[in-house]
Formats: sequence, structure tokens, C-alpha cells
Amino acid sequence: MTALETTTTPAAAQHGVVVRKSWQRHVLTFLMVAGPGLIVMEADNDAGAVSTYMQAGGQYGLHLLWLLVILLPICYFVQEMVARLGIATGKGHAAMIYERFGKWWGHFSLIDLLAVNFLTLITEFAAISLALSAFGISPYLSVPISAVALTMMVVTGSYLRWERIVIGLCLLDLLWFVLAWRVHPHWAAVAHHAVIPTVPAGGITGSLVFLVIAVIGTTIAPWQLFFQQSCVAEKRLRFADLKWARLDTLIGAIFTTLVAGAMMLLGNYGYEHHVSFQDPAQMAIAIAPFAGAFVRNSLLLLMVNAAVLGTTAISLASAWAYGEVKGWEHSLHKKLWEAPGFYATYIGCVGAAAAIVLIPHVPLQLVIISVQVFAGLILPSAIIFLQLLLNDRELLGDQWVNKRWNNIINWTIIIVLFALSLLLAVQVLLPNIFPN
Amino acid sequence: MATLNVTPNAGSFRVVHPLDDVQEAKCSSVGLGRIKMTRAVRVSLGVLRGYLVFMTLMLAYHVCDLAGLFTRLK
Repeated sequence: MTALETTTTPAAAQHGVVVRKSWQRHVLTFLMVAGPGLIVMEADNDAGAVSTYMQAGGQYGLHLLWLLVILLPICYFVQEMVARLGIATGKGHAAMIYERFGKWWGHFSLIDLLAVNFLTLITEFAAISLALSAFGISPYLSVPISAVALTMMVVTGSYLRWERIVIGLCLLDLLWFVLAWRVHPHWAAVAHHAVIPTVPAGGITGSLVFLVIAVIGTTIAPWQLFFQQSCVAEKRLRFADLKWARLDTLIGAIFTTLVAGAMMLLGNYGYEHHVSFQDPAQMAIAIAPFAGAFVRNSLLLLMVNAAVLGTTAISLASAWAYGEVKGWEHSLHKKLWEAPGFYATYIGCVGAAAAIVLIPHVPLQLVIISVQVFAGLILPSAIIFLQLLLNDRELLGDQWVNKRWNNIINWTIIIVLFALSLLLAVQVLLPNIFPN
Repeated sequence: MATLNVTPNAGSFRVVHPLDDVQEAKCSSVGLGRIKMTRAVRVSLGVLRGYLVFMTLMLAYHVCDLAGLFTRLK
């Protein structure tokens, strides 16, 4: 593969910003390239993640903080591979699986991805419904309005407009730090638990193992692989942008880990005040007498923000993947009528998930279990394909394939994820196999 | 990279957004067909198949269990 240098055409020379200093050039280039890494990482802190991290804090205090520190480099290594593959091929993950591994694996990955994504979307809308109900807003109002707003975000025919809105939503997550600071955690204990793994009182139980696996599964979700590669291709990142895409991914990984830590600290606040809760909305209401209305309201709004971020990224991951495999136009640069199949997939996913949440007595527990089972199927397979594609010299040439140290780290991650996915699936499907 | 190489005047740089830049030739899979079945690829796909079969069997067992099939058989 030799496409390293590009020639400058008059068309390209007409665009752009002229700067004098080298550092200005670097900063500006980074700002232009950044986006996919931050979005994929922060959107991963979706409604399910808020619930999982807060549950971890609520049940075990600060004892699982160290897990986030370990997950940070894992998250980065996996997503760096995705960004590299996206830049090198200019195509999405689903398209690459389809082209290099054939129709069977292509369709298997696509169907599994669409299923897990759709079920996850239902949980996102359920979170919107729960959080806004706490403000007295009826789900029959909040859910359809959210679905329409989520649709309006993408149908403008501009990738950049969508990206700017979503980055704005990502930055709203800075409020998690304010909330964590407002509940006055014991910072020395936080630092201690972040670096030294400790076993909570009660020892290693089935529910602790389940929560550890859930935290790992939440931090590395299958849709992220598909989303970032398609997003990088959509943004037409160039070979020379790789170092900036890596920095974007690293900053995203650090930010999202810190936000996840802040969520655990809030869960820990509930733990310290002996508040039991099933979901973050319940917890927000329960801690209001101690923490105040600001914390309560902010927590509920951040839950909505997390669900909105998750919904737009997950729906786009589905729409891009489906469009790639079907050979349709699949770009946010296109108007609604120029890429009807792509937009129909996005709108169909969002609309159907919103509609299901409005059905009375929808079995959400069954949905959550199905998400875990499908994710257990898709994550190991998607990550195996990613690793094999990044060792595909025929496709990538010597320059973009994994180095030896990449492979050692990545195979280790894959083996651990395989084992954990299997363990999670066993625990979900055969719940009595582990003692509680 | 077009972003960095375009220098309107000596000592200045033109930074071009990726979406406004000339499209690069990427690593193309056109004409390559399927991936080469090296040992690593064969073993990986074999393990993946085994994993999926095991998961499917476990899921089928769970569904039968939920349906009360095993209780009825006893």
C-alpha cells in the first residue's frame, strides 16, 4: 500500500486555514481530525453504562474503581486498531468482514449487530422515559419528542453538523465531575482503590463476578468497533491523520474512564447513605434529601444525555453497517432522499425502539438479558475479525498491519474477552451455576 | 499529506479539513477476494465456530429449561 503522499490540487488549496506557527498547525489539524474517538468513547457511557457503574458503586462502594484503570488501556488498544483500519481502508467494519470473510460471516456479524443494537436502543429509551418521568413529564411526551430530536440531528445532510452537536453533548458529561465533587468523596480512599484492587466485604460472590463482567462488557461494547471505523471512513481521515486519530481516541478513553469513575463515586454516595436502588433515576430521587436538588436534577438530566448519546451512536453504527453491506449510499453527507435506505434504517431503529418502550408492561428484564446474550456472541467475533484484518498483509501492506507487540497485547485482550463473554453468557443463561 | 504540505508562503502552513481535502487512494480489497487461510486465520475461525456452537447449545438448553421441558421429562 503506497498511498502516503497526496498531491495538492487547486481545489484543496482553496480550502483550509493558513497558520504561521508549527504548533498552530498541529493544534488546528488535531481539532479538525478529532471527533470519532471522543464520540465513540463517550457514547459508550450510555444509559446502560450509567446504570452499571452506579450499581457497582452502590453495591461495592469504591472497591471496583481499579477495574476502570485497567480497562482504559484495553479500550484504547482496541479502538486504535479500529481507527487504523478505518483510515487504511476508508471502509466500515461490516464491509470489511463481508469482503474478506465472505457472505456467511458478513451476514452473521450484521444480523447480530443489528439485534444487539436494537435491544440496546430499547434500554436507552427506557432510561429517557424513567429520568424524565421523575420531572413529571409523561413518557408519551418525552419518548416521541426524543425520537424526533434524534432523527432531526442526523437528517441535515451534514456530517460536521451532527459531529458538533454530539461533541457538545459529550462535553456536557463534564458535569459528572461537578456532581462527584459535590458529594465529597474521601479522595485518599478514591486514589487507594483506583490503584490497589481490594475484595469487598462478603468476598468473591456470583453477583460480584457478574458486576465485574458487566463493567467490562459495558466499557468495551461491540457497536463501538463498527461505529468508529465507519465514522473515520465517513470523515475521510487521511493516512497522515492517524497520529491525531490516535490522540483523539486516547483523550476519549481517558475522559470516558474519568466520567465512569465519577458515576461510581455517585453510586458510592448512595452506598455510604445505605440507599438501595434499581436504576439511577431511583437513586437520584433517593439521595436528594442528602445531596440536594442540584445533584438530583443534574443526575436525571445526565441520564437523558447518556441515553441520547448512546442512541445516536448505536443507531448510526447499525445504519452504516447495513448500508455498507447492502451497497447503499450510507453517508451523513447525503440528503434524506439521496440515501433513503441508510436514513430509513436509522429512523426505523430509533422509531421502533421508542414505540416498544411505550407499550405498557414491556418485559425490560428480558430485553436486558437478550442484550447481554447477543453481545456475548458479537463482541468476540467482531474483535477476532478486527485482529485478523489487522494482520492481513495482502490488504494493508506492511505499514498498517499490527506490529508483533500489537499482536501480543491484542491476542491477550481477545482471550480475556472471550473468557469473560463466555462466563457472562453462562451466568445469564444458567443463573444457578454460581453460588450467590 | 495535503493538510501539511500546502504552503502558500514560505514559513506558513495551510491546514485543510479532511472533508475538504483531496481523497486519497486507500488500501483496496477489490480483486483480492477472501482472506488467505493461514494457520492463524483457520484456528481463529475454528475457535469462533466452536464458541458460537457452544453458546447456541447453551441458549437452547436455557429456552427448554424455561419452557419446563426438563421438569416434564422427569
